[in-house]
Amino acid sequence: MTGRRATRLLLAAGVLLTLLTAGCGVRPSAVITGSAAQAGQSEGIHLYLVWRGQLALVIRPTNVVAAPAVSHGALADGPFLMLAEGPDESERGRGLTSEVPAGLVPTAPVVAKADGLTVTVNGAVTSLSAIAAAQIVCTVADNAALTGQGTRYAPVTLVGSDGVRPPRSCPIK
Amino acid sequence: MTVRWAGGRALGLRVRLVLVFALLGVTTTAVVASVSYIQARTVILQQAQDAAAVSLTDQLAKVYPIRELPPTQEELETLAQQLSNRESYAVIVYRDMSTGNAAAPEPLTPQLRQAVGSGVVAWQRVSRDGEPVLVIGTQLRLDRTDGASVPSGLEVYSVRSLAPEQQSIDRLATFAWLTGGLSLVLAVLLALLAARGVLRPVRELGQAARRLGEGDLTTRLTVRGADELADVARTFNDTAGTLERQVGELRRMEADARRFVADVSHELRTPLAAMTAVTDVLDEEADRLPGDAGRAARLVSQETQNLTQLVNDLIEVSRFDSGTARLALDNVDVAAAVTATLRLRGWADRVRTELPPGVVARLDPRRLDVIVANLVGNALRHGAEPVSVRLRAEEDWMTIEVDDHGPGLDAQVLPHVFDRFYKADTARTRSEGSGLGLAIAWENARLHRHAGQPGSLVAGNGPTGGAVFTLRLPRVAADPAGSGGVR
Repeated sequence: MTGRRATRLLLAAGVLLTLLTAGCGVRPSAVITGSAAQAGQSEGIHLYLVWRGQLALVIRPTNVVAAPAVSHGALADGPFLMLAEGPDESERGRGLTSEVPAGLVPTAPVVAKADGLTVTVNGAVTSLSAIAAAQIVCTVADNAALTGQGTRYAPVTLVGSDGVRPPRSCPIK
Repeated sequence: MTVRWAGGRALGLRVRLVLVFALLGVTTTAVVASVSYIQARTVILQQAQDAAAVSLTDQLAKVYPIRELPPTQEELETLAQQLSNRESYAVIVYRDMSTGNAAAPEPLTPQLRQAVGSGVVAWQRVSRDGEPVLVIGTQLRLDRTDGASVPSGLEVYSVRSLAPEQQSIDRLATFAWLTGGLSLVLAVLLALLAARGVLRPVRELGQAARRLGEGDLTTRLTVRGADELADVARTFNDTAGTLERQVGELRRMEADARRFVADVSHELRTPLAAMTAVTDVLDEEADRLPGDAGRAARLVSQETQNLTQLVNDLIEVSRFDSGTARLALDNVDVAAAVTATLRLRGWADRVRTELPPGVVARLDPRRLDVIVANLVGNALRHGAEPVSVRLRAEEDWMTIEVDDHGPGLDAQVLPHVFDRFYKADTARTRSEGSGLGLAIAWENARLHRHAGQPGSLVAGNGPTGGAVFTLRLPRVAADPAGSGGVR
């Protein structure tokens, strides 16, 4: 056996030993993904308010809900009206606000078509902030989906006294 | 001889066998242990992960229905406590709000957050302060009557220590290392055993071969088993047997030849004695015989003398060969004996002598005479004058040096000077001597022994170029009885 062969043998043994030692124990892993996320029931009315400057899903317990003051249609009126009323006391306590102007209410039932929903309100829509528009879009689409009028992600067109706001989908998926 | 075997060589058979066995054992164990280790580790971790996932799912079922969103920090903490148990604790995240200590960030990697944010259950093993932990994360989604679900914005991460699993796996590793070590020891033991089994016959073979080489032709090996080594041993025995037979045959033939020479020499003595008597008469008459007849008579006389000399030498040599040569010891004044030898041969005027008087030795005077006569005669015949004889005496030994001033002895000739019938000059096939003179002188010198050491006769060249023969004899030669001069 020559020196070179011996050296090579030693090297191989060393590599093997290193591999064995390095492979021992519980190693950190990459992210492993599994089935779909946990889902469950919720009790209360879904509406979208602003939390720390961002659009947020709010569940308002049903026992707190007061009867709507005005009724303009069968569809999506309840939540929409709640939106117009702004956050209640408990919600304000949690830091929730609303950018939808008070008193902005639908003047006609939501119209569902193949390419989306259309809702007509009693005020200006083009001047609404992006978050305020999103609040209306998400709340309307969410409740329309609950009653079988399209899906949650259906684009919603807002029609107001000052014109039409192009269709948008709810950004929360 | 044994040291050489016991010490072993740098990479002898034993070392190589041990290396190969050890390598084989270790490699096999390493492969088997590694595979089973990895397999077991995968199973252990898989089970832990599955159990953790099932446990988390069970616990999360209790969270629903969700009655209020978004949660306050207190509600998050309460929920986290609800979801924590002995084995794991929960971290609840809502947007940029989360439970847990802000100073010690939870082991949630951005990759995990991203995977969970995409709406699936995701888990990851991470190292927290050197301790392996399993983090399982999921969104809490809200079912809808239309079958879809919306994200509530809540994310639950269950952090579970994998220390027990780590311990189990470490035990596996310890066990694997232990197995490897044991198999290494076992492999080395087996290798040593195998090496002993192989090396013992080889060692015996080596020793037997050495004994055979040293001349013990009766050496035989014990044949064990029926493997290749046994074959080698059998072949060795056959070879040794054949060798013994052939050497015996050769010795017998040599002895026969010597006896034949001795017998022939003896048989020739009687007719030669008669012939010598006749040639003596012829010699006297030769001068009166005319021309060719006279020359022929002188030639016959001369050759008869040579033949007589040759036969006498042959008889002398056969005595040495048969071990029957004996010393007839006597106290001799060496200087006087040498002088007498030279005077008797008529060389006294031609030889310069340095013979310190008073050197008395106990030796065979006839043999001393033969040796000196041979050496001086040789020097006068083949060397060049002046020839000198020097005697030197020591306490127990004495030395007689005979040198000439000729060209000296050729380096090729030197080792054969004392061979029988060796002729330095091949062109001259007929020399004056019998060709046995120096051989007989050599045997005679060796016949004188003192303290177990034989006398010697050495040929060489002097510093001036002439041949130098150095005779060394004991001052008191041992009694020759029983001490034969067998060559």
